[in-house]
Amino acid sequence: MKKFYRLFLCFLICSVPIFICSPAVFGQSHQTVQDTTLKPQKKAPKQLKEVIIKDRRQQLRKEEEALNIEIVNSGFIQRNLGGSLMKSLERLPGIKTIGIGSGQSKPLIRGLGFNRVLVVDQGLKHEGQQWGADHGLEIDQFALGEVELIKGAASFRYGSDAIAGVIDLKPQSIPAKNSLGGSVNVLGKSNNKLYGSSVNLNGRQENWFFDARLTYQNYGDYRVPIDTIFVYDYAVKLQDRQLRNTAGRETAIHYTTGYIGQRFKSLVYLSNVYSKSGFFANAHGLEPRNVDEEMHDASSRDIQMPSQEVNHFKLINRTEYRVNAHQFFLDLGYQRNFRQEFSQYVNHGFMPPVYPDTMSIAPNLEREFDKQVYSFNLRDKLLFGKHEFTTGLSAEYQQNTINGWTFLVPSFKQVSAGIFAYDKYRINDDFLLHGALRYDFSHLHMFKYTDWFASKRTANAPAAFEKLVRSEDLSRTFHSLVWSAGLNYNLEQFSLKANVGKSFRMPIAKELGANGVNYHYFSFEKGDPRLDAEHSYQADLSLGWTADKWSVLLSPFYNYFPNYIYLNPTSRHDDYYGAGNQVFQYAQSKVLRYGGELQLKLKLLKTLTTSFSGEYLYARQLSGDKKGYTLPFSPPASALFNLSWSPVLNEHFQKTYFSIDYRLTSSQHNIVPPEKKTPGYGLIDLQIGTELWFQKQPVLVSLQAQNLMNTRYLNHTSFYRLIGLPESGRNLIISIKLPFNIPFHKS
Amino acid sequence: MRINVKKLNLLVGGLFLAAALSNCSKDKAEPIDTTYPEINTDSPTAFPKQCGVLKRGEKFSFKALLSDNKELGSVSVDIHHNFDHHTHSTELQECDMAPVKQAVKPFLLIKNIAIPAGLKSYELNTEIDVPADIDPGDYHFMIRLTDKEGWQTIKGLSIKIN
Repeated sequence: MKKFYRLFLCFLICSVPIFICSPAVFGQSHQTVQDTTLKPQKKAPKQLKEVIIKDRRQQLRKEEEALNIEIVNSGFIQRNLGGSLMKSLERLPGIKTIGIGSGQSKPLIRGLGFNRVLVVDQGLKHEGQQWGADHGLEIDQFALGEVELIKGAASFRYGSDAIAGVIDLKPQSIPAKNSLGGSVNVLGKSNNKLYGSSVNLNGRQENWFFDARLTYQNYGDYRVPIDTIFVYDYAVKLQDRQLRNTAGRETAIHYTTGYIGQRFKSLVYLSNVYSKSGFFANAHGLEPRNVDEEMHDASSRDIQMPSQEVNHFKLINRTEYRVNAHQFFLDLGYQRNFRQEFSQYVNHGFMPPVYPDTMSIAPNLEREFDKQVYSFNLRDKLLFGKHEFTTGLSAEYQQNTINGWTFLVPSFKQVSAGIFAYDKYRINDDFLLHGALRYDFSHLHMFKYTDWFASKRTANAPAAFEKLVRSEDLSRTFHSLVWSAGLNYNLEQFSLKANVGKSFRMPIAKELGANGVNYHYFSFEKGDPRLDAEHSYQADLSLGWTADKWSVLLSPFYNYFPNYIYLNPTSRHDDYYGAGNQVFQYAQSKVLRYGGELQLKLKLLKTLTTSFSGEYLYARQLSGDKKGYTLPFSPPASALFNLSWSPVLNEHFQKTYFSIDYRLTSSQHNIVPPEKKTPGYGLIDLQIGTELWFQKQPVLVSLQAQNLMNTRYLNHTSFYRLIGLPESGRNLIISIKLPFNIPFHKS
Repeated sequence: MRINVKKLNLLVGGLFLAAALSNCSKDKAEPIDTTYPEINTDSPTAFPKQCGVLKRGEKFSFKALLSDNKELGSVSVDIHHNFDHHTHSTELQECDMAPVKQAVKPFLLIKNIAIPAGLKSYELNTEIDVPADIDPGDYHFMIRLTDKEGWQTIKGLSIKIN
């Protein structure tokens, strides 16, 4: 199978010159010269619609960034709206998700996820419990104006964790002067009977503005195209093909206010995102369970145990000040992520058979993580001559406490700081050079944790019982120096990007201090307090050609980790600390990864376009216990074919589109314990939308059919893959957006 | 035409670089092992079996055939009560269960059993004591077997202790 992948990639690479070279030779006569500089366009377009400007801005942004970036706006999210932000973005090449249930998912960029992908919201690093495969991203997708995805190592700008990429979430643009308006979104989905709404109100006088949003979503159990699933061979019958107890609720409130001046801009952003959702009751974590089916099946909308509740609060101040050639940016932030996981007490290993009533921890509180983060970022962007020189300083303080009757990660506090300098040098209109250097410091202190129950030591007779110390007090300090160098070359229709760089990631508390049974995986996870900071070297290339009627973009990458941190399933069992479970030991190994994406777009007719995007990834461990194996959650090769028809109808139906996607995913046989081989599949999605205009009032309507054929398939990167749970069946989505303006008179 | 050649050179050069980076050459790595080890309790001598019965105050011999395509790792046995009817049974056959009850002094055994190194197949035969003073009732008998690569197979049997 590996050979097939290789051949596939070789074929892609070899076929590209044929695509590109032929028109390059014969297509001279109708060549249009595109302006790739920041200078205003000379040939003024007849009508300057807002969208056109925006597209151009995105184009410029891409042409001046040495890293591979994808930019999408709220229109894209509206059109491809999935159960969660990351599901909506999964259409982009190189982007995948690790999903659990219908409303939670976390990003995977070119096969890496968890703490290797950094999410930036309102300028600051979003801090949740990124390490957990069953944890989603606490983001309200309705509140976003634009999402910028960086595929590739970007530690030099964002610090630790940006080793695989960055997802930069940008708010909606600041309202125009002397305006008052907003929008109402309503949303419905057939598969999990979701209904939701998001209401926005914003306004601005001369300099002061506000933007408020309220979002609510409520969904039931989601449905899969299967009647019985086998959790470790244990047969679980589903009622009406509904996945028991996967319902959820989400509420989000956002409020932004601030002052916009000529040279000074300052805004305060306040948000609270709350979600409560159930876990599939028959397999909490991944263990088979007998449940009270009558109780669970009584309603498809109730949330029983096991369940999770997460609340994420943010208070951020962003200030920008321009003086002479300087532009200063100051971001201050506080965020608190409070996560609780509830489950009935079931004794495992050496836990007492009955939960003692002397315990101060509630018997249903399986886990709790309380994280508080204070952040500070200062940047100065200086323009002089052909240079754009940015220097910056960032600092963060974290406090993490735990609770609950199971133990996985100790409480800890962490302080980190970094400084960087980045120079963008414009040699001429076509050619840009980039260089960056960054130094980081981080100190982590973990606190001692002792079991509340005694374990039995069987090795020495007579058998002795004792409460085990799971995690000792531990202090670690890390230093890191990283760099990056890149170039952009844009010549008429041709564009080239290249970047090489070193990135890093500080080990997280779980990697250093885990020493407990993960009762959901039948594993005993053991951290290694001696782990080094993880380093990565990455080379990125991007080659593009844009003609009138077609365009092509090829973005290969090559990545090497001298010390990738990896949770290695060993052959050992531990009957003392591990309560008889298989030992999963954190270790570091050399890892090689490469792959890339290919995008082709072709305009068949004025209103008909077709596109292809393909992605491929290969990863191999070059040393250690799992030498020769891949990394966990490696997405299989996939291709997305799209045909879009955007007819110009009449003034009442504007920006109408009919679009069909066919996604072909190959099988994944390149696996590592404890994964399973996943067969390939093909999926069809439909998207239809229009802007209905009555008088001067538009109504944006978007319809989607996801998994139109109700195909039964397994997603290799899904949390529930290990228990053979198929993905969601057919899902019809309707989303309506009503923007409005309230006439506003200057007083 | 000059620009065109220049562009073409860039493009072809870039593609060669991409091809070199992507390492299209032949695969040198030997194939990885992706086969799970097997726990066989089907043979007539294997004990216990699904819905099997153990006796308090007596010894029994835990017998199973363990096998792997390359090399076995280690095996662990875990006997814990199932008075609350949570389930870890991996077998299709269902057993008659006693009514749900509160545990007082349930039997708990967690034990590693060594497998000699380098074996593809191993006849497990080990004696286990069942104390006389434990709660009788429904129990789980879980066998966890790994191979050297770290693949794990779990077999969960529902048993009774009388």
